[in-house]
Amino acid sequence: MGLSGLPLGSLLGIFGAASALVVVLYILKLRRRAVPVPFSRIWDSILRDKQASELFSKLRRLLSLLLQLALLALLVTALGDPKPKEDLREGRHLVLLIDASASMKAVDVKPSRLAAAKAEAEKIVRGLGAADRAIVVQLGSVPTPRSSMSGDQSELLQAITAVSASDTRAELEAGLAFGRDSLRGLAHGELVVIGDGAYGDTSTLGERVSLEGAVLRFVPIGKSGRNLSISEFSVRRYPLDKSRYEVMLEIANLNDVPADVELELAGDGVVVDVTRLKLGPNERLPRYYQDLAGASRSLTARIKAAPGLDDLPADDVAYALLPERRRARVLVVSAGNTYLEAALLLDEYLDVSQVAPGAPLPDARFDVAILDGVAPSLGERAGSLLYLDPPADGPLTHAAPLEDFGFDTWERKSAVLRFMSMGDIQVAKGHSFKPQAADKVLGASDHGPILVSGARDGHRFVALGFDPRNSDLVLRIAWPLFVLNTINAFVEEDTGYVSSYRTGEVWRIAVPGSLASVSLLQPGGAKIAVPVSDGRAVYRGEHAGFYKLSGGPDDAPLGEFAANLSDLEESRIAPRKELVLAGKPASAVAIAPVSFKSDLWIYLLLAVIGISLVEWITYHRRVTV
Amino acid sequence: MSERARWIASAVGLLALLALFTFVLQHYVWSAPAAAFHWQRGGIEYELLEPRALSVVLLAPLLLFVLGRSLADLPWQQRVLSLLLRFAFLVLLGLGLSRLVRSDETHRVATVVLVDVSESVADSTLDKARAEVERLYRAKGEADLVKLVAFAARPRAVPVEQGDRLAVPPVAELRWRDAAGAPKTQAGSNIQAALQLAYGLFPPGYLKRIVLLSDGLETEGSLLSEANQAKRFGARLFVRPFRDPPPGEVAVRALRLPDKVDIGQPFDVTAEVYASRATTAKARLYQGETLNGLDGVRDVELKAGENELKFKSVVRVGGEVTYALKLSDIVEDRFTQNNALDVTLDVPGRPQVLYIEGQPQRGSYLVSALSAQQFDVDLRPASAMPSSLRELERYDFFVLSDVPREAVSDAAQDLIERYVRDLGGGFLFAGGEAGYGLGGWGHSTLERLLPVRMDAERRKEMPGVAMTLVIDRSGSMSGLPMEMAKAACRATVETLQGDDLIEVIAFDSTPTRYVKMQPARYRARIQNDIARIQPGGGTEIFSSLDMAYQDLSVVQARKKHVVLLTDGQAPVQGIKELATGMLAEAITVTTVGLGEGVNQELLRSVADAGGGRFHLVPDPNSLPKIFTRETELLAQQAAVEEWFPVEQVGNADFLKGVAVSAAPLLHGYVATQLKPAPAQLILQSDRGDPILARWRAGLGWAVAWTSDLKNNWSVDWLRWAGFSKFWGQFVREHMRIKRRQELPMQSELHENTVRAVVDAFTADERFDNNLESKLIVTGPATAKGKGERREVPMRRSAPGRYEAELRLDEYGSFMLRAEHARIAPDGSLQPLATSFGHVSNPYPREYGRFEPDVDLQARAATATGGSLDPEPSRVFDPQGEKIVYYRPLWSRFVLAAIVVFLLDLLVRRVRLFDRKFLPRRSVPPRAA
Repeated sequence: MGLSGLPLGSLLGIFGAASALVVVLYILKLRRRAVPVPFSRIWDSILRDKQASELFSKLRRLLSLLLQLALLALLVTALGDPKPKEDLREGRHLVLLIDASASMKAVDVKPSRLAAAKAEAEKIVRGLGAADRAIVVQLGSVPTPRSSMSGDQSELLQAITAVSASDTRAELEAGLAFGRDSLRGLAHGELVVIGDGAYGDTSTLGERVSLEGAVLRFVPIGKSGRNLSISEFSVRRYPLDKSRYEVMLEIANLNDVPADVELELAGDGVVVDVTRLKLGPNERLPRYYQDLAGASRSLTARIKAAPGLDDLPADDVAYALLPERRRARVLVVSAGNTYLEAALLLDEYLDVSQVAPGAPLPDARFDVAILDGVAPSLGERAGSLLYLDPPADGPLTHAAPLEDFGFDTWERKSAVLRFMSMGDIQVAKGHSFKPQAADKVLGASDHGPILVSGARDGHRFVALGFDPRNSDLVLRIAWPLFVLNTINAFVEEDTGYVSSYRTGEVWRIAVPGSLASVSLLQPGGAKIAVPVSDGRAVYRGEHAGFYKLSGGPDDAPLGEFAANLSDLEESRIAPRKELVLAGKPASAVAIAPVSFKSDLWIYLLLAVIGISLVEWITYHRRVTV
Repeated sequence: MSERARWIASAVGLLALLALFTFVLQHYVWSAPAAAFHWQRGGIEYELLEPRALSVVLLAPLLLFVLGRSLADLPWQQRVLSLLLRFAFLVLLGLGLSRLVRSDETHRVATVVLVDVSESVADSTLDKARAEVERLYRAKGEADLVKLVAFAARPRAVPVEQGDRLAVPPVAELRWRDAAGAPKTQAGSNIQAALQLAYGLFPPGYLKRIVLLSDGLETEGSLLSEANQAKRFGARLFVRPFRDPPPGEVAVRALRLPDKVDIGQPFDVTAEVYASRATTAKARLYQGETLNGLDGVRDVELKAGENELKFKSVVRVGGEVTYALKLSDIVEDRFTQNNALDVTLDVPGRPQVLYIEGQPQRGSYLVSALSAQQFDVDLRPASAMPSSLRELERYDFFVLSDVPREAVSDAAQDLIERYVRDLGGGFLFAGGEAGYGLGGWGHSTLERLLPVRMDAERRKEMPGVAMTLVIDRSGSMSGLPMEMAKAACRATVETLQGDDLIEVIAFDSTPTRYVKMQPARYRARIQNDIARIQPGGGTEIFSSLDMAYQDLSVVQARKKHVVLLTDGQAPVQGIKELATGMLAEAITVTTVGLGEGVNQELLRSVADAGGGRFHLVPDPNSLPKIFTRETELLAQQAAVEEWFPVEQVGNADFLKGVAVSAAPLLHGYVATQLKPAPAQLILQSDRGDPILARWRAGLGWAVAWTSDLKNNWSVDWLRWAGFSKFWGQFVREHMRIKRRQELPMQSELHENTVRAVVDAFTADERFDNNLESKLIVTGPATAKGKGERREVPMRRSAPGRYEAELRLDEYGSFMLRAEHARIAPDGSLQPLATSFGHVSNPYPREYGRFEPDVDLQARAATATGGSLDPEPSRVFDPQGEKIVYYRPLWSRFVLAAIVVFLLDLLVRRVRLFDRKFLPRRSVPPRAA
């Protein structure tokens, strides 16, 4: 036993002073009242009684004094905060994995599953023994400890309070691995999962995560699994007609009964469509809004169901952001190329400026520069470069002159060659390239690479090894496709655009490469700094909604994006009563209703209260004085 | 007020007080949310952690009750004061028990040092890391803490102190150990997991610092994304990256193959090889289990950094081909796990042709021709005709040559039709002696499928058929056999064209002409003559057959034929020779044996010698059917056996480069009639009959070749130099084009999870949302097989976009194939397209990179407010940062309670009120 409160010396000082005062007060006789007695014989009898009870009276006084001193001693001892020696008994080490995934926002238990889980966690913490230690971990897409491994109940209770639900799935495997790591080397390890058990298929989990002797326990949360969800929500522009777009959403009725749903679609906060739908039991209903051409950028879908059919509101709303259709600024450096000019006319969202080779360049920045047979240095004026038949002093070294050749191989999956067939293109003359190690060969004849992409000095480029006018390429539909695909790929405005990210994943959002970090405005209004690596802001998002990026010296807007749960598995909120790992069900948690706390001072104070009550009663009944 | 009333009033009052306290506690304490006991005052936060302890106030009525029955001799003022003090005493103890805490600030620093002990970190580097930990420990303040976490794929806390003394474990103990404490290799670096473990090691009330000692080459998790979490957690990350140059190491990082490889076409296999320093190695490229034929072994000189090795290769046989590059004889190489890498390539096989030949022994000519044109030909007899569409679907082209109709069931014909119409298969129906009308194909399913009719027009200048029916009228034929024989003769007459000639000879011991040779148009008269036939005596075949021969030899017809019907035994002498002689004059003989007693050997030999067929008919009722069939075969066929040149009358791509006009003569064909457009006539005979006609039938091509494919009518074509090219180009143009278009697949492997994405567009470049797709992952491919096959559905994640993810726990090369089916209006799935992809997970990524990633670590540190390469003192410098923690205040209440306790005692021990100070009485002097 040791003291963690006031030191022993201080305690002895306090006790000495106080006990001296008590003794002094007991030495003092309580002055009795002056009572005139009219008849001395009566007084005699009183004096006789007094003489008879004097010994008892002294004993009562002594008992009373000892009682007061005992009270004082208990109080002073409590001040010392005595603690049992930890090494007398090695207690349990618990990792409390509190499921904070989206399904824990379900309200089938009031006020929510998460609140119920936290209440269960609190019970466990309050039932911890003196030698027990626990760590509180929020289990979402990654495990997040909220406390240290501690026996301090106040710390643990605060940590439980800090647990908050996210819009992600719970990665039980990561949670168990974390728990196992935390318990490694500690005695009597227990992993306590407190949640609804909606962790997908856990049948093979036992093969991947060894608990190394730790005991797995499970506290099931939740009563029912009634839910309707928006399982997908997305928007994409059409590949050819980029002024129009299509919205896809999928509603899932995860109940065993039919459900009537009201689907509301809003653009920039204004409701644009309300539809009533009927879904069969366990039906997934995709819906498409085609050929949309509105100006709305941010789209929100929301479903409403009859009461009693939807216990999880978190997946009733989804967000999507239409890719911005901004005009790309294109600089053409050419002595005149009708085919090129014609191809550029096909996209109304291009701002094209043309200059002759050698002429002064416009004092402006361009997204893309198309260099027709020339390779001037543009510095920072152009973001990306398309070289048509670049000279030998261009970005790529010429390998060999070629005649009468074509594309024998090409990267069909390249965004530059999307929708194109290059197999029957005939080229009269040109040259092959010697690409550098990091360059990518997009097309080659049997004699060498003739279409190469890569980056030089931070500028991306695509280089074509022949003048298109020396081929029949310009007579084919592939020509404008090639030009426009290349521009789209440079400005990243292609159909591969994803209108929303999935929560729980690491997002890598393209931002200007010169920035080291950017600001991210989250749906809740909080603004945080996000690091940038390789031109991508890296962030693990946990909440659905709209996000805004800004950065640079003036914190200029860099773009927006949306994030959704979009996880049907997480929307299946039917609670599990059992968690099975490696074929063995997790055991229940044994919570001691009353446990021996390490805080002895509490018991000392309780004893003081009890004794003081006894003393109060005995004093007023004249048992003690 | 009476004593009783006062007692009742006191009891009621006490109960009311108890009820009031209970209500207040219930409403404001017991059922109040936790936040109700958290408040802020003067910038300091307060919170009651155990508000229920305030329930001690429920003891107040008891105090009051006892006081009401007090026997103590105290003035009422002191009694009240004592009650208040005792109540205050209880409240103070209650507040102490309710554990009031307040926020406070501290500048103590707890530092968790994360040491990367993964395989990529050398022991010498770890020695430096240990020294770094010791430096940090020495720099800490007295109140500061240092903890240590060693991590590779997973982290573990390592004790760093023994008692109060620093004791950093030696390198061998820092390395990863299993649960039993034994050394264990961990091929991975998960900095994120180490950070997460570190959060749990910070005690409350300390500023949180993390120092990362690592090469930054993470294989799992994301340090950058965790940096945000660390910042949110209040942990500041400092990094001191390992900068030691990588050890001598050579690793195969990638093996690149073209997207598409054709059989027989050489291509480059490009290997990316990393070397930490210049060295030499022996590179072996394997194709499957054997060394790559064109370029298998090479001694290579590797420069420091990235190296590119190119090998020439060629694939001879289609299917999945695994290439493996293995490096050996490396001078200095720390890890051998990364010296080999394999990639599997799916090479489309050669087109498959199914060739059903009526005379398989003569099918080698076409097989050779097509094989030379890079086709795989499966030659089979008619009896091995595929019985299911699934089996037929394997083939790109189907040739049915010179097979009689009897050999192909109606069900099989239906299969062929579905193969062409629904699956888009190419179908060639070739002639021969059993082709078209000769094989009885008239009015069949295949005639409907083909672009030609089989009832060819007769030549006007001569009758098509001259037919003599030689009927046995011996006594044994009496009754039903005779009647059915006559019915068969009548049916024959009905079947013949009007211009065809017919003669009926009935014989017993002598032959009698019942119907003289005459056109079949005189049907009534002929049938009357037939009716006159009556049974007679013996059986003499030779004379009757000779009579038929004599009669037929003097008439003009394109086909002369005898049908001999008999039911018994007869002298055999000369009959076979006679039949041989008849065949020499183009008179064919078919024999029909009725009943079991016939001389089957004789009749079979006569039919063989006479170029006809032998029918054994046990049941006389079948005779009319047999005769009708025989007549149809004869009447409908119009085999033209003469040398003729082929004339091109229609354009077809497959004839490009083939000089048909210079082709040798054909020696025969089966006359047919071209059906109306869209049937196209490509080649014809000099008589204008179709030789090669085609049309589209459903999704596929149905083509009729009326000559044969063997050394009979096409005998000279077989020797023609263009024969192989002709048929090769022909099959290539008409074979099944894989209707299942290919949709491009984007695939990537991230932390052992493969993600495949397919974008589907309709022909008008809209999003194709009506697909049901699944992803099939096969691998890892090994010498023993293709590996496990796993299948997952692909979800629709955006308009026209289909995605799937699958975790791969093994290392090697994996083939991805997505199958897309369109949902038909009736709900059925129609295969539409496939997608192909490939991912390679050759070895743990720990063995793939060795150059320290300082930039990544620096960015992560900056994101948390930490820095790169800090001095140890800076790590423990609070830098103005303070941490707010909660300080318990219960002891203050206990102290206050002690004071109140003493005051209470004072009140009860010292009379403070109602004191009467009497004048000191003068004490009378004691009496002496």
